[in-house]
Amino acid sequence: MSRVKGVFAHLDSLVDAIDALKQAGVSDLQVAAPLPRHEIAELIYEGRPSPVRWWTMIGAITGGIGGFSLASLSSTVWPMAIPGGKPIVSVPPFMVITFECTVLLGALATLLGLLYHCRLPAVGMDEELTDPRFMNDHFGILVKGEESAKVCKILHDNGAVEVVGGA
Amino acid sequence: MSNRIPYSKVNEDVLRPLFKPTPGYLALLFTAIGFMLFGGYCWSLQLEYGLGVGGYNPPVMWGVYITTFVFWVGIGHAGTLISAILFLVRSRWRTGVYRASEAMTIFAVMTAGLFPILHAGRCWYAWWLFPYPNQRELWPNFKSPLVWDVFAISTYLTVSAVFFYVGLIPDFAAVRDKWRGTIGKIYNGLALGFRGTDRQWHHYMAAYGFFAAFATPLVVSVHSVVSWDFAVAQTAGWHSTIFPPYFVAGAIFSGCAMVITLLVPMTKIFKWENYINIWHFEHLAKLCLLTGSIVTYAYGIELFIAYYSDYIYEWGIFYYRPTGDYAWVFWMMFSCNCVIPLVWWFKKVRTSLAGLFIISIFINIGMWFERFNFIASSLAHMHDPGAWTYYTPSWIEVGILCGSFGWFFMWFLLFLQVGPAVAIAEIKESVRPPLRSDEEAA
Repeated sequence: MSRVKGVFAHLDSLVDAIDALKQAGVSDLQVAAPLPRHEIAELIYEGRPSPVRWWTMIGAITGGIGGFSLASLSSTVWPMAIPGGKPIVSVPPFMVITFECTVLLGALATLLGLLYHCRLPAVGMDEELTDPRFMNDHFGILVKGEESAKVCKILHDNGAVEVVGGA
Repeated sequence: MSNRIPYSKVNEDVLRPLFKPTPGYLALLFTAIGFMLFGGYCWSLQLEYGLGVGGYNPPVMWGVYITTFVFWVGIGHAGTLISAILFLVRSRWRTGVYRASEAMTIFAVMTAGLFPILHAGRCWYAWWLFPYPNQRELWPNFKSPLVWDVFAISTYLTVSAVFFYVGLIPDFAAVRDKWRGTIGKIYNGLALGFRGTDRQWHHYMAAYGFFAAFATPLVVSVHSVVSWDFAVAQTAGWHSTIFPPYFVAGAIFSGCAMVITLLVPMTKIFKWENYINIWHFEHLAKLCLLTGSIVTYAYGIELFIAYYSDYIYEWGIFYYRPTGDYAWVFWMMFSCNCVIPLVWWFKKVRTSLAGLFIISIFINIGMWFERFNFIASSLAHMHDPGAWTYYTPSWIEVGILCGSFGWFFMWFLLFLQVGPAVAIAEIKESVRPPLRSDEEAA
């Protein structure tokens, strides 16, 4: 299977190259960048929001229900009339626990979702993407399983400073 | 901040101070460790002889430990405000200062968390604070603000630590790529093998937004919950509905002052003027002016409500504070929080590093005294005149207070050597990206 890596020193060149590759029908491409750029995300993830949000929502709802249940069910274990006239299950004070558990589990679930969808810890990542320049001042594209001559030409034509790989 | 800094220079500038402790740095670090060890020694004496050596005698059972707990929790709030709220409102000046502020938050909340344990005396039973299944089916009283506090502080520390760590992942990857060998391997582990791929950034940015959204209500809620530790009690001088907003404003006021205290010397020592400069400090000073005004207003309203309530115990305590045994504490608080910061209304002062640094220290001192003022005076002068007393901190308490500063600064100084204290990836977002069109035009 062919693997071609292109290295770019300029953001606009990179964006042009991604656009040209997509126009040429290349679908299996990965981009590496030292910072998040909306130009890249829009080209690759147009209309596809991250599913991390579902993890967040499910975690937050679970936390909220769990927090309120913890406070109310544990209060009913010893149903003593606490001086002050509050009912055994008092909604206003339990809202504090509910809120804290919502935030806590929502954040922890978001972390799990982030790790899962980012495939972190990253084990067995494509070697081409481990170029140290990509966390510094260069951008990279890795294309797999395509006709390498065509890909190399597109990358060169769009200003890649280095193109490595082939069939 | 210059908009034309090359990406490689950002990496170079931010990573330059790492793993290079200078003699001055080591002197500061060992001083902090010395303070911490002295605090630890004082704690060991308290463990041996009991809470009496900590100055606790009825009716004053909350003293320096609770004062210092509230002080450190408050310090943490500015970090979360800067990292979360200013992220959501896309405030540009946050970029340079947020990483160090977040680090300050984590270490401040870690410090605050020690004090309820110290205060409880038999610290080996501190785990009783948390709900856990047990044979007798005993659970904490979830109607008590002290239990809310356990949940609020634990959640705050956990969420802030996660937010802080997630923010550091791309920058740990940058450290890994600069240092190979053992350091590289350690930082690759810390970065979880992050490589900045499109998939990683896509999910990372979504998650980061959610973390910011979760941290934002915590800025308001945590110190509100801390304020309820007092406001829910019937003690005169505490039982007030103004406490939550008053505490939150005070927390941000003291936290921003602490950010200034930490960042002014850090910027000079590490030569980070490209990333943190007067523009950032001026915004922090303006935030202090705003929150300081709210705090001053709250002092006035508290006094007015005490007078207007026509409740002699409430009015008695508010008369006692500025005129009684604790008048020196009250006036120290008032001058440091309400009068001295007013000089920041002059642009010349708030744009001078010396002016910023000196005033910020006064605010830190004033905000510690604010908490001492209302805690000690209310307890020492409660409803029964026969029980009135004059509480002053014992040397053990002062030692533990100094130890807490040592503990906090030790962690902060260690972080400056091992973690990027300026957010590399976010700084890059705020500068102009390298563009072929720019080079062709030039």
